[in-house]
Amino acid sequence: MTGGLDIVLQVGIWGLYAGCIYILLAIGLNLIFGVMKVVNFAHGEFLMLGAYVTFTFYAISGFNPYVLLVASVPILILIGVTIERLCFRPILGTGKLNEIFISIGLIYLIQNAAAVIWTDEYRIIHSPFESITISVFGVNLPLDYLIIIITTILILIGLYLFLRKTRLGKAMRATSQNRKGAMLMGINVEKMDMISFGIGAGLAGAAGTLWVVSGQVFTPYMGSIPAVKAFAIIIIGGLGSIPGAIVGGIILGLAENFAIFTIGGAWKDAISFLILIVVLIFKPTGLFGESAE
Amino acid sequence: MKRVFVILAVLFIGLVLFAGCTENQAAVGSPQKLKIGVVASMTGPASTTGKDVWQSAVLAADEINAAGGVYVKELGKNVTIELVQGDDESTREGGQKAVSKLITQDNVDLLVGGFSSAVVSAHESTVADYSVPYIVSGASSPIITHRTDVKTDTVFHHAPTTDDSGGQTTLFIDDTIRPAINAKFGFPSDRPLRLSVIYQDSPYGKGQLDAIKKTIAASNLNINVISEDAFKMGESDFRTVLTSVKNADPDVVYVAAFLNEQTALVTQARRDVGLDKIFIAVECNDDPDYYSGIGRYGEYSIIQSRFSPYAVPSGPIEQSVNKFMSDFDKKWGGFPGMMGAATYEAVYIGANAVEDAGSLNKTRVNEAIGGTTMPQMVEAMKNETISFTPDFRESKFDLYMEQLIWNETAKETRPVIVWPAKLKETDFVIPDWFKPGQE
Repeated sequence: MTGGLDIVLQVGIWGLYAGCIYILLAIGLNLIFGVMKVVNFAHGEFLMLGAYVTFTFYAISGFNPYVLLVASVPILILIGVTIERLCFRPILGTGKLNEIFISIGLIYLIQNAAAVIWTDEYRIIHSPFESITISVFGVNLPLDYLIIIITTILILIGLYLFLRKTRLGKAMRATSQNRKGAMLMGINVEKMDMISFGIGAGLAGAAGTLWVVSGQVFTPYMGSIPAVKAFAIIIIGGLGSIPGAIVGGIILGLAENFAIFTIGGAWKDAISFLILIVVLIFKPTGLFGESAE
Repeated sequence: MKRVFVILAVLFIGLVLFAGCTENQAAVGSPQKLKIGVVASMTGPASTTGKDVWQSAVLAADEINAAGGVYVKELGKNVTIELVQGDDESTREGGQKAVSKLITQDNVDLLVGGFSSAVVSAHESTVADYSVPYIVSGASSPIITHRTDVKTDTVFHHAPTTDDSGGQTTLFIDDTIRPAINAKFGFPSDRPLRLSVIYQDSPYGKGQLDAIKKTIAASNLNINVISEDAFKMGESDFRTVLTSVKNADPDVVYVAAFLNEQTALVTQARRDVGLDKIFIAVECNDDPDYYSGIGRYGEYSIIQSRFSPYAVPSGPIEQSVNKFMSDFDKKWGGFPGMMGAATYEAVYIGANAVEDAGSLNKTRVNEAIGGTTMPQMVEAMKNETISFTPDFRESKFDLYMEQLIWNETAKETRPVIVWPAKLKETDFVIPDWFKPGQE
């Protein structure tokens, strides 16, 4: 590599990869917020659990870790549904402070439980495709990144079809737009809460699997920073807006990586919040706002 | 008669009570034990290292107690060591709470341990307030004994500072890697080595970078630092930083990172970015988890070390290192790690100082630690002796450099010592896939 366009392209690919993880996390958060109006600070812990579920099944079965999406997503949906039923439903509507403290408490509980189950030593696994590279516009890229980007796109298409074409998806959207109106139309909004929380956790679980196969290390404490980024993304994109979360995720992934390349890695986290501040100043409802949904 | 009986009874009861009181006071006033507080990260992200620190301290205390304890001349008898655990929770605040409790409630006679420079710096003022001798066996920033905003005259640094480790590694690069590259590729012998530094954005990482630059300047080494890239502590995605380094095109990449960061960084460098360079890892990475985590990607990289799971320097400490590792494995299972090794020694240093002082008085123990002259134990020391410098109370280690070579039996790399000459097992090798940097 001699510099120029190929480097820009390579940094762009790393940014897209980071954006994929952020998008899956942020969409999950947005679904939960859109339907329940609950802010779940422990959402990053679902990412961490997704990583460990993948790791555990990989260690036991030796399966291709991509295939283990079929384990991590359902298990995380189940965990999400359980947490919604046990922790959030009883306090729904009792005030934001309760929701905040429940979710902060969950962070510590889930982290400590993971540390007990899997120990707090860092883990890493290697993808079966790690030695395969492909040429994209003259830049050699590991196949894994292409698979991760395509997998994310497929998950997003699946989610789009679910929300747009199925009765359940339409009921969820109706609950998100007007909870009382949805109730009057006979929609079981509590069921919608449970499903949206489960899908949100499942998407975070998918992000955890993709995190693991990309060769990143993981520990029980890994979820907090990605969760903070996901919050920044949904504010940038607009609270409750799924297209906003997708655009916000890509912007943040690219901006972070180009910031690392140009002004240094120490600025990686700061750039997220710089973008957040700029967006809030010029468009306080976020790029896509509430009205876009 | 009755009155006399009453008086005698009162006197008797009074005497019994008085005797009881004095006996009790004697128990409080004459300590039967040497209480050592072990500051370790038992919970939180650094808990793996914290457990090594605690378990190694326990091993040392058990050995000393089994040999009869520590003779305290002032008491005229041997006392046993009692360890008290202070969990710093891997945080500054946790460290402040733990050290405060160890000093004010547990009344420890001295402290050992202390994992990170940031955590130790945060509780040093408490240590200074009570003038408790503290042998720091984990943190590596020189700041902990060089700072002037807090009194540090009771703090002793028994771990290589970033100045020491960065300095010795830079000398190795100039002394061994640069000539090897120039010879292999037919470059002029005065061609400067192109060095990239990737460092954790922390006192530790910045300390390593400073040490590299200071050593190059002080020794007038033929090394050009062509890029410097920082990353946030705990980072796991290094691809863009590595792309930037690839663009700079160095010969050697010096990485100042912790184990979880180093494994991901080298894997991504070799696998994702195709950075076919010699990587250098700092000493805290010489751990079994590094070898299993990094796999083939670590092949031919360099790791600085002072206590390795797989390479024991032959010579005077070989036997004691093997015994320590074997005893640790028997008692706890696994490898104690270099911070465990330093803490093991720190407990012995403390016990030795109490014997030398002949007292548990903190001022006298402090003076005795300052005057320590002990034979090296399980880590190679300068002049084969554990002692502390008079200016900043630092002990000086003999670091060595290992190169990682693939081992077909273990299905992992294994280290061989390539520097310094007195410890060297084999020559440094430049792999066939290595590509030297270009202007």
